Amino acid sequence: MPGIITSILFLPMLGGLLLLFAREGARKGSGGVRAFALAVSLATFALSVVMYVGFRPGFAGMQFVEQAEWIPRFGISYKVGVDGISLLLVMLTTILTPIAILFSFEDVRKKTRLYYMSLLFLETGMLGVFFALDFFLFYVFWEGMLIPMYLIIGVWGGERRIYAAVKFFLYTMAGSVLMLVAIIWLYFVSGVGTFDILAHFREPVDVALQPWLFAAFAISFAIKVPIFPFHTWLPDAHVEAPTAGSVILAGVLLKMGTYGFMRLAIPLFPTAAREFATLIICLALVGIIYGALMAMVQTDVKKLVAYSSVSHLGFVMLGLFSFNLLGASGSVLQMVNHGISSGALFLIVGFIYSRRHTRLIEEFGGLIRVMPVYSTFFIITALSSIGLPGLNGFVGEFTILLGAFERNVWFAVFAALGVVLSAVYMLWMLQRVLFGEVSVRANLGLADMNKREWIVMLPMVALMFWIGLYPKPLFNRIEPSAKAWLSQVNRRVLRVEAAPERKIQKSVIAHVQRVEVK
Amino acid sequence: MEIVHPTIHWGYLLPVILPVGGAVLVLMWDAFFSRGERSAIIAITLATLAAALGVTLGARALPGLAASFGGMYLFDGFTQFLYVVILFASIFSVLIAAAQRELDDTPAGEYFGLILFATSGMMLMAATRNLLMIFVGLEVFSLSLYVLAGYLRARPESNEASLKYFLLGSFASGFLLYGMALVYGATGSIDLIEIATRIHENPASRGAVFLMGLGFIVVGLGFKVAAAPFYMWTPDVYEGAPTAVTAFMSVGPKAAAFAAFFRIFLSTGDASGNLDSVLWVMAVLTMSLANLVAIWQSCVKRMLAYSSIAHAGYLMVALVVSRSNPELATSGFLYYMLVYVFMNMGAFCVLVLISNMREGGSTQLDDFAGLASFRPGLAAAMAIFMVSLSGLPPTGGFVAKFHVFSAALKGGYVWLTVIAVLNSVVAVYYYLRLVVVMYMREPEGGATRRGPHPGWSYALAALTLAVASTLQLGIFPSSVLDFAHRSTVFFN
Repeated sequence: MPGIITSILFLPMLGGLLLLFAREGARKGSGGVRAFALAVSLATFALSVVMYVGFRPGFAGMQFVEQAEWIPRFGISYKVGVDGISLLLVMLTTILTPIAILFSFEDVRKKTRLYYMSLLFLETGMLGVFFALDFFLFYVFWEGMLIPMYLIIGVWGGERRIYAAVKFFLYTMAGSVLMLVAIIWLYFVSGVGTFDILAHFREPVDVALQPWLFAAFAISFAIKVPIFPFHTWLPDAHVEAPTAGSVILAGVLLKMGTYGFMRLAIPLFPTAAREFATLIICLALVGIIYGALMAMVQTDVKKLVAYSSVSHLGFVMLGLFSFNLLGASGSVLQMVNHGISSGALFLIVGFIYSRRHTRLIEEFGGLIRVMPVYSTFFIITALSSIGLPGLNGFVGEFTILLGAFERNVWFAVFAALGVVLSAVYMLWMLQRVLFGEVSVRANLGLADMNKREWIVMLPMVALMFWIGLYPKPLFNRIEPSAKAWLSQVNRRVLRVEAAPERKIQKSVIAHVQRVEVK
Repeated sequence: MEIVHPTIHWGYLLPVILPVGGAVLVLMWDAFFSRGERSAIIAITLATLAAALGVTLGARALPGLAASFGGMYLFDGFTQFLYVVILFASIFSVLIAAAQRELDDTPAGEYFGLILFATSGMMLMAATRNLLMIFVGLEVFSLSLYVLAGYLRARPESNEASLKYFLLGSFASGFLLYGMALVYGATGSIDLIEIATRIHENPASRGAVFLMGLGFIVVGLGFKVAAAPFYMWTPDVYEGAPTAVTAFMSVGPKAAAFAAFFRIFLSTGDASGNLDSVLWVMAVLTMSLANLVAIWQSCVKRMLAYSSIAHAGYLMVALVVSRSNPELATSGFLYYMLVYVFMNMGAFCVLVLISNMREGGSTQLDDFAGLASFRPGLAAAMAIFMVSLSGLPPTGGFVAKFHVFSAALKGGYVWLTVIAVLNSVVAVYYYLRLVVVMYMREPEGGATRRGPHPGWSYALAALTLAVASTLQLGIFPSSVLDFAHRSTVFFN
């Protein structure tokens, strides 16, 4: 299937550009804009399904690779591809975007054309990060996607939207410029002469430089994940963003950080990654427990969900830095799981917010009597987030815990404590919001889920059950790539550490050759 | 004594002859025809500049034919690229001036004549290896700009700008000239190639006098490019001058003065080694001070003034590292300069259109409030320029920064690069604040709005060109990058 990735990648952007020519009617005219945006995102999804079907499960390397010259002077090319690690994240992106667009039909009423343009551009940006196999290309998407997200938070967000948008932008930007320095530095010190990521995997980086370069990449990704203590932008951004923005932010954007660790920071600098592993795992554990404790004391449901993300992404980091197959494949799956369950939680919060215009827990109670269907969806989603067996969260968390256990028992013990705490804050919140007497009069007349909300929620719940009950097809696709990833990490550690002299010799020879060529 | 007839390649002189001829024509036109001939004068000016640009782009710099008048005029690749930069800057400033309401009632012939003279001065300064010619070029454009800065005679700020620029500018010119005299005293030549050979052959000539001379030259040129600590005049002058002039001042003199900087520092080689660290400090100071102060500005014009100082800082980075890898640093500088023309001129063009809407031509941040709701196209264009000025992909500003930072890192200047990138994070804050105001605030009802200016089609042309080029240089930079790399050859 030649060109499939390029089609998936640029279809949303093309749709966004076409929206430039759309007329933005005062009220009714926006129907065309949003229907068009939905159609584009569904077409993107359809294409990505074609790619998923064509993906060869047993194969570890990159598939559907496309390459074209872009800036030959710097060895920059347009190179994209997909493997078992990025495949699922791509699918997650193409599923969540139409859902976010569909949700926004009623939610977003002003400047609709700009809004759907931003969402579609954002989709291209996110897909680009997962597809890119060239540092420069990766960075262009990584930074480029900030602008539409910034607009989504800043224009259509809540009361403190401007503060949240600027904070989001500056935090992410501060991290990523350091990564830019590291990327260029790597280009020069490695002597590979290209920005091709796969070519850099083959060339070990000088052990003395690794900690610096790793740190520059890691800070950028750690802010995005976010790892404690870089998480402070997250509650603001999540709470102030419009619901669709929160869904994308929690569902996909945070995964870009963990994906960055997995795709770039760890395999490029394995020695440094090992040195930093304990530190990062400790921060991840702090994040797991801190996020859970913070979630527990929130009075705003959306903020609670936001802090739960800090906690859940700690698990992903824990799995990654366990450096074993269980941890790695569990992490990939957990990235997807978190995307689904936290995305769904934000949608659920969005439903009630659009009815009551408040998200405070104390404003609710007894909703299950008024809105039984809504409450059922809420309970399923919350349980999926907690990690109840049979739902998706369990598979990922359990695999990660096994991986962590293999590495160090204590890591697993603390992480398990996080699982318990997540049950506490989620169930306690459910109890206060859904059960008991209907304490506030305004809640009595609330309508239950309408048709559009059904359509939005059904695919999410279906995915929760599918992954929870039959995760095998996903693991089949993840595992070969995770294995290759692990051997890459381990083999390169040996190569660099075992034979430093040879490396020096090699570089001297290369240098001499270069001089001779001149 | 035998008089040697100097070699002159008239074809290569054409790009400079055209603006000078155009300037004379424009002045005569103004004298012989009625005052209402503004659009004819604009057309002549644009035609001259476009012709000069066409000749420049069509020319091929050849090693054997580059030098005319014994190296006083030099048309090499470097010159060619800078001509493109300066001519584009000039064209933009004409288009912007044609659309600026405040300039409507001012005499057109003198204005555009002075613009053309300034253009030719900048071009001459970029196209020479002779210290004296550098000075002559500098004075030609400076004198024009002193007048232009005070062109709105009725406005006190404009007069203040002119006077400030003139007093401090002539003081700085004095430094420059004194520095050149000292260099001449130490080496006995004003030709850069001669100087280079003499300091190479005779190490005694690179003593204290020589270094002091170079130091004074740094002061003089540092003033012209508005580098710290010689940038104090910039905000006031930029704010007070007519916006179209400010736009020109923020790009043209920078291109010319940096060209001289590069030629002098690359030719003096190791002899000026200790000045590396001076320039390092200047670069860091320029970036950091300008960016920090820009945050506090509520007037967009003044903010853009500080932003232009900050960009001078990034260009200084290219200068600092030019010694350790000339090719990458020089092409980075050239590419950055070209991108800067489009994004900065575009921003100033939007600024003029905004000030046209307000009585008194105010350019406060509040005047941009809610621009996206009633002028979505204009707001989008401004947003693109701001994104590019902050150095974010997929715009030309990103590729330019990437290129300069690559040069710095290749030269091993890791800390300088880290400071530069952190500065660009600070810069993002104030550039994006404009986006916040345009997109995230509601329009203010109270302000008066005026109808479109008759010159809006000039502005539209300028904006279209600026947006298209900013995006093209960011997404498909390869062909222009190659042009910049081909243009890094000096003195052939």
